[in-house]
Amino acid sequence: MSPVNATYWGIPGYAIFWVLFAVAFGLFAWRLRFLFRLMRLGKPQNRFDHMIKRIKTMLVEVVPQWCNLKTVTRKDIAGVGHALMFWGFSLFLLSYIIFIGLAGGFGLSSVIEQTTFEIVFFSILDIAGIMVTLALVLAAIRRYIIRPTRLEPSGEAAIILVLVFFLMVVNVAVVGFGYAAHDIQASWPPLGSALAGYLSGTGLAQGTLEGVYQGVWWLHYIVIIGFMVYIPRSKHLHILVSPANILFRPLGPKVELEPIPLEEAESFGAGKIQDFKWKDLLDLYSCAVCGRCHANCPAQLSGKTLSPREVVLNLKEHLLETGPELLAGKTSDKSKTMIGDVVTEEEIWACTTCGACQEECPVSIEHIRKIIELRRNLVLTQGKMPESAQLMLGNMQLRGHPWAGVQSLRLRGDWTSDLDIKVLAEGDKAKTLFWVGCTGALVERNVEATLAMTRVLKAAGVDFAVLGDAETCCGDPARRAGYEFQFQIMAEQNIETFKKHGIKEIVTTCPHCYNTIKNEYPSYGGKFKVVHYSQLIADLIGQGKLKLNQEISARLTYHDPCYLGRYNGVYQEPRRVLQSIPKAGIEEMERSRKKSFCCGGGGGLMWIEEQPGTTKVNHVRIEDVLKTGADTVVTACPYCLQMFEEGIENKDIKDSLKAKDLVEIVEAAMKQS
Amino acid sequence: MNIIVCVKQVIDPEIPPVKFKIDPEKKEVVPPPGVPPVISVFDERAVEAACRLKDKQGGTITVISLGPEKASEVVKHSIAMGADEGYVLNDAAFEGLDSFGIAYVLSKAIAKIGAYDLVLCGRQSADWGSGQVGSILAEILGIPVVTLACDIEAADKNIKVKRVVKDGYEMVEAPLPSLVTVSSELGLPRLPAGMRIMIAARKQVPVWKAADIGAEASELDKAHVEITKLSVPTRKTECEMIPGDSPDQAAENLAAKLAELL
Repeated sequence: MSPVNATYWGIPGYAIFWVLFAVAFGLFAWRLRFLFRLMRLGKPQNRFDHMIKRIKTMLVEVVPQWCNLKTVTRKDIAGVGHALMFWGFSLFLLSYIIFIGLAGGFGLSSVIEQTTFEIVFFSILDIAGIMVTLALVLAAIRRYIIRPTRLEPSGEAAIILVLVFFLMVVNVAVVGFGYAAHDIQASWPPLGSALAGYLSGTGLAQGTLEGVYQGVWWLHYIVIIGFMVYIPRSKHLHILVSPANILFRPLGPKVELEPIPLEEAESFGAGKIQDFKWKDLLDLYSCAVCGRCHANCPAQLSGKTLSPREVVLNLKEHLLETGPELLAGKTSDKSKTMIGDVVTEEEIWACTTCGACQEECPVSIEHIRKIIELRRNLVLTQGKMPESAQLMLGNMQLRGHPWAGVQSLRLRGDWTSDLDIKVLAEGDKAKTLFWVGCTGALVERNVEATLAMTRVLKAAGVDFAVLGDAETCCGDPARRAGYEFQFQIMAEQNIETFKKHGIKEIVTTCPHCYNTIKNEYPSYGGKFKVVHYSQLIADLIGQGKLKLNQEISARLTYHDPCYLGRYNGVYQEPRRVLQSIPKAGIEEMERSRKKSFCCGGGGGLMWIEEQPGTTKVNHVRIEDVLKTGADTVVTACPYCLQMFEEGIENKDIKDSLKAKDLVEIVEAAMKQS
Repeated sequence: MNIIVCVKQVIDPEIPPVKFKIDPEKKEVVPPPGVPPVISVFDERAVEAACRLKDKQGGTITVISLGPEKASEVVKHSIAMGADEGYVLNDAAFEGLDSFGIAYVLSKAIAKIGAYDLVLCGRQSADWGSGQVGSILAEILGIPVVTLACDIEAADKNIKVKRVVKDGYEMVEAPLPSLVTVSSELGLPRLPAGMRIMIAARKQVPVWKAADIGAEASELDKAHVEITKLSVPTRKTECEMIPGDSPDQAAENLAAKLAELL
């Protein structure tokens, strides 16, 4: 007695059912084909390795909704709401396939109807329906009344909230009217049978009830297949695409940058939308416009025009706009320029590559590599960059480091003579290298930390050597600023130096060097064991080779450097080190660990001028420090240290706040009284 | 337009002053250990000027550098910016030459290179700063020289040069071939981009000896300049506070004092 069996104005229900389905599915498939073909315009990329591992990750992220639950904080529990909606709607989707598709379209209703299976399933659906409705109501209140920063009232959001609510209501109505029309007395499913009971009591004629039942049933069906047509034409495309996006996300470093092959090419980096890789384009489809990247971006939060969300959405729009012409093999002259119209240069140069966007994103969009590909095009192909960037990159090219007007020389200068450190000469070999990094060697304030580090290492009896003036910058600022070929030259040079001296293990005080040598040098032929000094010191303390006996009476707070924390997951070791100091207490900032707020120095921004008229990123972060009431901010990165010193100087709070490198605190805690 | 650019490798001017040392006996500057030398600032602008002309007119840029063998680095840097070819002029006989000697050697190298439309030099070197080589070279080559250029434009068979003068600019038109010395007002030199940086890094730069360019000992031995003393000036700072009952009065007193001193 499924409505599909009936005949309407002489046309069999089956015919109507399947014609409607064919039309809807056709529109659905047509759109998906278009989107797939557009994605294939992107460059090849191998994200098909370790498929089993990838599938496992995807299932763990999607099925228990870890992708959303991991974004839940005390202030933002939307992730829970989404999980409920996802699980609820998954059940509904299954029910549509079984009870509309199989029972209806395939005529198996007599087999399925009124079975225990159906009753149980419908009962679960009623409960799921209540959960989903609750989640919808809360979602609507958040988006339209509370209006948190990251959510904008949007038409697409309203449509989906209304549609899903409609489906929840109609789902109950279908059961209610169906039971009432066929005089089925039941107490399960609870809502449907309650409605049926009420309807039976109204004394409506069986024919009326049947008529309404059929109407509601077909309305329900049309809305569902309409949904299918709507999804790939809206941001709800993420429903279909995001599991694939998670499947194909990078298994290695979160920001996957590839060396540029050495063939003569007309253009480098991404100047046109099809210069991106296919996964970059898939990212654009996956965006659900949740706004988490936008609400956590230090550039955005300090007043810059850059918003990671807008970059993704603008690129998506650009792809859809220029797509048809590109597929037809034509290049359009009237279309907007990607760099300039779609994403402005101002936005491109504001990114500190801190990784907050990617950390927050539930669907694994890779924002940062797109920014760097755009920078590669500007620097390598167009030769366009802010003057401050050009000066820094010029220095990288000419002097082998980004610091001009240096205040101190590399380690074959005056101070090593007191210290008796092994400086590697031609032909020397060493197992452990203390890689100082250009900042630690050349900038006055950071040299103090370097000296402290050598003293600590010696006190702990660590056998190490340094490269002295054979050390050039690791190349990180060049790579982040898009100057890839210079980075390649430096990487190859450094790798050769390491190999020449037989280096096996590298200890560094700079998270950028740590990240670059550990995660990026392997693609240039250099794989070494790389350790950040906080890890080494934590180990030495654990082994008893370093004793921190001296009390530190300062009130400390620890700032997680982006390249140590988010990029490499090193959160615990620096804290363990500080906690092993007697009486030391760390006052954690609200935005700490993976929510740490960037100091503003990464991505080449240590040298590149920030957008005039906006607050400087480090000044925003210093406010976080001041809120803790600490008198000392401890960090484990030379850029962060500089940024805090600048902020302290700028706000004239030298008397109330000090900035220290972790190693300086360690040395102070080692001193014998 | 075929352009020849003369570039020099110098001690990095960006070293902290305390690291700058001289040997007063030998009357030489002692290179600070561990600091790589760089291309002379004005010469880099000369290469930039050449590149700008090449962008508009086409042609070739050849770079020559008189210096140690390591000077190949500045030649490579110029190639990365946009030069096509480059040579290092290195010989024991070239050590300790004065501006006349240097100009002579460069002229021999230019003769070996062959035909050219324009020779560019920096207005002065970023180490000694004599500012003479360009003009002497032009004299030897028998071509006009325009100094202190901040802009060069090609105009038919001539060039239009914008010169920096004490209180502004001067426009000079000169026929080709000519020699122009370039000042830093030309602007920021381009960042070596694209593949050029890799091409340059892998390039082998030929070294020319005295014999290769036919530089004669008789000319090289002529010294026109003798350094009698080399010293680092001692800086003395004095601070005199100019009094005044009010800011206006202080300003008047200051102005009077300045007029007196100047």
